[in-house]
Amino acid sequence: MSEGGEYPGFAPEHDPPIHYMRRIRGYYQGLGYGAPYRWAHYAEVPFQPLEKPLAECRVALITTAAPYQPGKGDQGPGAPYNAAAKFYTVYSADTAVDHDLRISHVGIDRVHTSAEDSNTWFPLPQLRRCAAKGRIGEITPRFHGAPTNRSHRTTIERDCPELLARCRADGADAAILVAN
Amino acid sequence: MCHQTVSLAARHLEENGIATIVMGCAKDIVEYCGVPRLLFSDFPLGNAAGRPKDPPSQAFTLELALRVLESAPAPRTTVQSPLRWSTDPSWKLDYSNIERLSPEEIQRRRQEFDRQKEIAKTVRDAPRAAN
Repeated sequence: MSEGGEYPGFAPEHDPPIHYMRRIRGYYQGLGYGAPYRWAHYAEVPFQPLEKPLAECRVALITTAAPYQPGKGDQGPGAPYNAAAKFYTVYSADTAVDHDLRISHVGIDRVHTSAEDSNTWFPLPQLRRCAAKGRIGEITPRFHGAPTNRSHRTTIERDCPELLARCRADGADAAILVAN
Repeated sequence: MCHQTVSLAARHLEENGIATIVMGCAKDIVEYCGVPRLLFSDFPLGNAAGRPKDPPSQAFTLELALRVLESAPAPRTTVQSPLRWSTDPSWKLDYSNIERLSPEEIQRRRQEFDRQKEIAKTVRDAPRAAN
């Protein structure tokens, strides 16, 4: 290794993916909050291979975005964090029609993106195109909204079973979950 | 919390027979939780389904997600999209970076955080409309 040098072609040292857990821990400690948040972590991971070709599968879409709520403050594009726009129970809506979903209630990168194109976080129109050309069998009749809680217990014991029940009721073989 | 929520949901669906793919921009949070399949886009949070106003990037991203869904050989399969947000990775230095904030800004953000927390509590505790 040459002293102080860098081999040609290496990406900059700040190029790897952001380590969000470390960044967020430092942020809240810096703001003066005490015990760091304990993130969910499991040693074992379940695995369910697709049992038939995707072209024959019914696919569900799950989002953490929230339906636009008039009167609940600035929800974007370019909105600051807006807790008033949060939701706390699973919701579902018709995948056959378009929806105005926003992400002002979650911690997106407000410096480098402005949430002006919902196709970057809610790919329902693109998924419809995939269904139309036979890439997937079909979309489930409803998509589902997952509340983003700090409480692991609420997410695991209440919201996850509710999402499963709704996906099952819709006959989903597979699900696409889009995080923000 | 958002990446954690979808990760927990993916695990629960998968445990119950529904194959899942998570599309996300926070690789560490999803992998720390542990999910069957992740399509990671190294983009600012809020762009897990592709670049804004760039339909080809959105189509590419979803297609890649579908390919991971159908072809992952084992759990904890992460595929990183080859798309780059920018040739300059400096954007990665900004998100919630305490080292980049002045004492005044830190104070302002703390007050804002407390204010938003109160608002969230009010929303959470309000009578719920049926969904």
